[in-house]
Amino acid sequence: MNIRCAKPEDLMNMQHCNLLCLPENYQMKYYFYHGLSWPQLSYVAEDEKGNIVGYVLAKMEEDQEDLKHGHITSLAVKRSHRRLGLAQKLMDQASEAMVECFDAKYVSLHVRKSNRAALNLYKNALRFETVEIEPKYYADGEDAYSMRRDLSEFSRKAKPKAEYKNE
Amino acid sequence: MPSSNPLPPKENALFKRILRCYEQKQYKNGLKFAKQILSNPKYTEHGETLAMKGLTLNCLGRKEEAYEYVRRGLRNDLKSHVCWHVYGLLQRSDKKYDEAIKCYRNALKWEKDNIQILRDLSLLQIQMRDLEGYRDTRYQLLMLRPTQRASWIGYAMSFHLLEEYKNALNILETFLEQQKGNNFDYEHSELLLYQNLIIQESGDLKEALKHLDSTQDQIVDKLTLKENLGDLFLKLKQFEKAAECYEELIQRNPENTIYYNKLLQAKRLENGQEIVNFYVNYSEKYPRAMPPRRLPLNYATGGEFRNLVDKYMRKALSKGVPPLFVDLRSLYSDKTKIEIIESLLLHYVEVLKKTGKYHELEVNNGPKEPASALLWVYYYLAQHYDYLKQTEKALSYIDAAIEHTPTLIELFVVKGRIYKHAGDPQEAYKWLDEAQALDTADRYINSKCAKYMLRADYIKEAEDTCGKFTREGVSAMENLNEMQCMWFQTECALAYQRLGKYGDSLKKCHEIDRHFSEIIEDQFDFHTYCMRKMTLRSYVGLLRLEDVLRGHPFYFKAAKCAIEVYLHLFDEPLKDESAEQELNTENLAPSELKKLRNKQRKARRKAEQESAQQREAQVKKDQHHKSRQQGDVEADTPQLDELIPDKLARADDPLEQAIKFLQPLQTLAKDRIETHLMAFELYYRKKRGLLMLQSLKRAYQVDPKNPKLHSCLIRFYQFIQENKGSWDPSVEQVITQETKVYFDSKDASRLNKEFLENNSNSLGAVYEGAKVMYQLDNKRQSDAISLATNLDNKYDVNIEICTEILNSLRTGEFGSCDAQLEDFTEKCKVTFPYTAAFKPPSPKVEPLNSSEANHVQEQDSN
Repeated sequence: MNIRCAKPEDLMNMQHCNLLCLPENYQMKYYFYHGLSWPQLSYVAEDEKGNIVGYVLAKMEEDQEDLKHGHITSLAVKRSHRRLGLAQKLMDQASEAMVECFDAKYVSLHVRKSNRAALNLYKNALRFETVEIEPKYYADGEDAYSMRRDLSEFSRKAKPKAEYKNE
Repeated sequence: MPSSNPLPPKENALFKRILRCYEQKQYKNGLKFAKQILSNPKYTEHGETLAMKGLTLNCLGRKEEAYEYVRRGLRNDLKSHVCWHVYGLLQRSDKKYDEAIKCYRNALKWEKDNIQILRDLSLLQIQMRDLEGYRDTRYQLLMLRPTQRASWIGYAMSFHLLEEYKNALNILETFLEQQKGNNFDYEHSELLLYQNLIIQESGDLKEALKHLDSTQDQIVDKLTLKENLGDLFLKLKQFEKAAECYEELIQRNPENTIYYNKLLQAKRLENGQEIVNFYVNYSEKYPRAMPPRRLPLNYATGGEFRNLVDKYMRKALSKGVPPLFVDLRSLYSDKTKIEIIESLLLHYVEVLKKTGKYHELEVNNGPKEPASALLWVYYYLAQHYDYLKQTEKALSYIDAAIEHTPTLIELFVVKGRIYKHAGDPQEAYKWLDEAQALDTADRYINSKCAKYMLRADYIKEAEDTCGKFTREGVSAMENLNEMQCMWFQTECALAYQRLGKYGDSLKKCHEIDRHFSEIIEDQFDFHTYCMRKMTLRSYVGLLRLEDVLRGHPFYFKAAKCAIEVYLHLFDEPLKDESAEQELNTENLAPSELKKLRNKQRKARRKAEQESAQQREAQVKKDQHHKSRQQGDVEADTPQLDELIPDKLARADDPLEQAIKFLQPLQTLAKDRIETHLMAFELYYRKKRGLLMLQSLKRAYQVDPKNPKLHSCLIRFYQFIQENKGSWDPSVEQVITQETKVYFDSKDASRLNKEFLENNSNSLGAVYEGAKVMYQLDNKRQSDAISLATNLDNKYDVNIEICTEILNSLRTGEFGSCDAQLEDFTEKCKVTFPYTAAFKPPSPKVEPLNSSEANHVQEQDSN
C-alpha cells in the first residue's frame, strides 16, 4: 500500500472508488474542480498494482469572513482494505498540506448521523469535534454532524522546519 | 468594422439590451427587444438582430429556428463581425468546434482586435489542440492586453505545449521581472513550480536545480519542492543530498513506498541483504508505518523471509487485518515464498487449535492469542487456496471460518469469490447476497453484490440492488448513468451481450463512450479557470490526461464489448421483425390474424406513446436538474440523440460503428494484442487487404506467439490467394513483400502443421491450429476435434479456454459432432467440477428475492 498526493490521472479512479463505497457521488468535473483548484490537498492510497483503494478529496473553503479552513469533500477506503489505518493516514497528509499551502486553521467535514464507524474514526482517532447538527443535510433527508478539527498542531510542526531552512 | 446596416439610436439602444439580456440569461426579454426592432419595416431583415434572435432562441432549446435566424442574419450582413461571432457561438454550443473556429476567424477579419472573439477563439484552439493557432491568438491577446497576467501566462504556456521551452521560459522570465516586489503567495509559488516544470522538461536539470534552490523560500508547497529537489539530486547523481531529501520526505509521509525506493537508489543499495537491513532499520524508526515492514518481504529469501513473514503475518492475524492476503498476494510470483507462507499457516492452524499459540515454543510465554486468530488464519488459507485454484481446499477453509464466526461479512464475500473463480457465477452471487444482507448500509458490499448479480446475468435485480443507494425519485439506471458509474454500465453491457440482447448491450457501451466525450468536454471551463488560479502544473497534467483519456481500461472494456457485438450483428443480422411474425402467424385463420394485427398495432402505438412521454419527462427532468446546478455555463448544451436499443442493434453499418470504437484503441491501447486482432476481424469483413496487413503486423509486434494471431494469419493467407488477381500491382507487391516473414513461401496447411508441431503443449494454440485444420480440409474433422479436445500434457488448461472450445464445438465450428461434444463436456466436468458451464444445462433458478427481505429489515432497524 502506498499513500501519495493525487494527480490528475488519479481522479477518474477516485470517482470509481467513491461510486463503489459511498452514497454521495459526483461527476468527473467536480473531481477536476478539486484537483485543479487545490492540487496539494487530495490524497490516494493505492495497492501494488496501482489500484486506488482509498482516497481523500479535499478543498479550501473560500469565504472571506470565516477563519481560513479546509473541508473534506469525501473520504473513502474500500471495505476490502479496512483496518490498515489508511483513512487516518490520508487525513493527516491532507491536513498538513492545508496548513502548509493555504494556512488553514482548521478542517471541517460532514458525517451522516447513522454512520457510527466514521463518527468513531473522526472523534477518537482524528480528534474532530462536533460543532452542530445540520438537519436534513443529505439528499435522502438524513441529518449530518458538522465536525471540525483544529490544525494548530500541524502549523507547529511546519514552523521549525521552515526556520531550519532559512539558516 | 461597423455593421453594413447601422441602426438609428433608438433601435441601437434596443439592440444593446438584447446583448445584455443574453449575458444575463434573460432570454425571453431578449426576444421581446428583438421583436421591437424587427417589427420596424425598415429593419425586418437587420442582420445582427436576426443573428442575436437566433442565438437567444438556441438558449431556449429551439435549435432549428436558431440556425435559421442566425444564417439569415449572416446572409444579410456578411461583413458583420457580430453575425460571424454569433454563428461561431451557435456552432460551438452544438460542439461543431472546427466550424466555430472558422466563424471566429471570419469575424476577426472584420474586427481583428476584438478581445472577446480572440478569447473565444483561443479557448476553442486549446480545446482542439490547435497549438500553433493557439500560440498566434495568445500573442495577439498579449499585444492587446499586456498588463494582464493571463496574457503572459497564456502566451508562455502555448510555447510550452509546443515544446518550445526557451521561448516559454523567456516570456515567463520577463513576466516575473515585472512582478518583483509583489507578495509571495500561493499563486506565485505555483507559478515558480510551473516554471521549474518547464525547465525540467527542457532537459536542463542543472538549471532546474539552480532555479529551485534560489526560489525555495518563495515556494509554499514544500512537499512538491522536496520531491523535485530529491528527484533532481538523484538524476544529477548528488546522492547524499538526494538521500537527505528522501529522509525528510519519509519523515513527513512514511507510507509512501516511492520515497523508500528513491532513498535506496540514493544510498545505492542493491544487494538484497542490505535492502532488508535498510528496511528493518526504518521499521524501528517508524513503527506505525507499513512500507518498512512490508517491502523487505519482496527482497528477503529463505530463512530470513520465513522469519520476517512469520512475524508480519502473526501481527496481522492477532490484530485481525482482513486485507492480509491481498497485501501479500504480490509475493505469490515466487513459488518458494508461497510454500513458506503455506507451511507457516498450516502450522499455525495446528498449534492454535491445540494451544492457542502460533508456535509450540511459545506455549509458556505470555497470554494466548485471541480466539479470532484462528478465524483469520482460516480466512487467509481460503484465499490462498483459491489463488492456487484449489477450489476444494479453499471451500473447506472458508467453511471452517464461517463455522467459527457465522456473522462475518468478509467470509461470505470470499466464499462467493471462490465460486466465481471456479466458474459458478450463480452460486457466487448467492453468497454475495448473504453478505450484503448482513450490512445493508454498506455500499461497498452492495456494489459487489450487484456486480456478482450481473455476472450471473440478473440485470434487473442488480439495478434494484444498486437502487438502494441511488437518489430517490429517479430510476437507478438513470442515476448511475448520470453519475458516470462505468463499472456498472460495463458489467451490464457484458451481461446483455451474453443474453443476446445486443441492442441493450450497445446502449450501455455508447453511454460509456459518451461519458468519455463528456469528460473531454469538461476541460473547457478549466482553460480560463486555471490561468486565474495559477494551478498550471495540474492544468498541463489535465490537458495531457485528456489527450489519452480513452486509454483508460474502462474505455477498453466497453469498446471491446461494442466491437464484438457489432461484429456479431454483421455476421448474423437481426431478423426483420415483421418477417419473424409472419412465421408465427402462418397457421392462423384470416379473421384471427386480423385481430392479432390490430392488437399488435395498438400495442406498438401505446409503446411509442409511452416512450415519447418518457423522453419528454426526461428532458424536463434534465432541464430542471441543470437549472439547479450552479455555475453551469453550458446551459445551452445540445441534447444528444436518445440511444434506442433496437435502432442500435439494427444499424445499417455495424462495421463502421465498430471502427469508431476501435480507433481510440489503436492509438491508446496499441500494446494490447486484442486491439489489433479486433481490427483484423473488422477489416477482414470489409475485405481491406492493406488494413488487415497493418493489424497483423501490429499484433505480431505485441506477441508473435499469440494463438489467435496464427488463425488470423492463415485466414489472411487464404484471403490473399483468393484476391490477389484483382489488386493493383503495387498493393500486391506490398502485401507479398510484407508477409514473407510470416509465410516464408509455405502454404496454409504446411504453416498450420508446423504451428501445431511447435506448440503441442499449449491448449490455446492447439485449439486454434485444430480449427484451421478443419477449415482447410473438413475431411480431417475427427483429427481436428481430437486435437482440440485433448487436455493431456498442456500447460494452459483453464476454465476460459475449455469453455471457448466447448462453445465452438456446440456452434458447429467443427461440423456436427454430438458424441465428441458429450465426451469433452464430461472431461471438463471432471477437471473443473464446480464450473456451471460444464454441468448439464439446468433450468435457470429465479434469483433469491433478497431485495424485499432487506427492505423489511431496513425498515425495522430505522
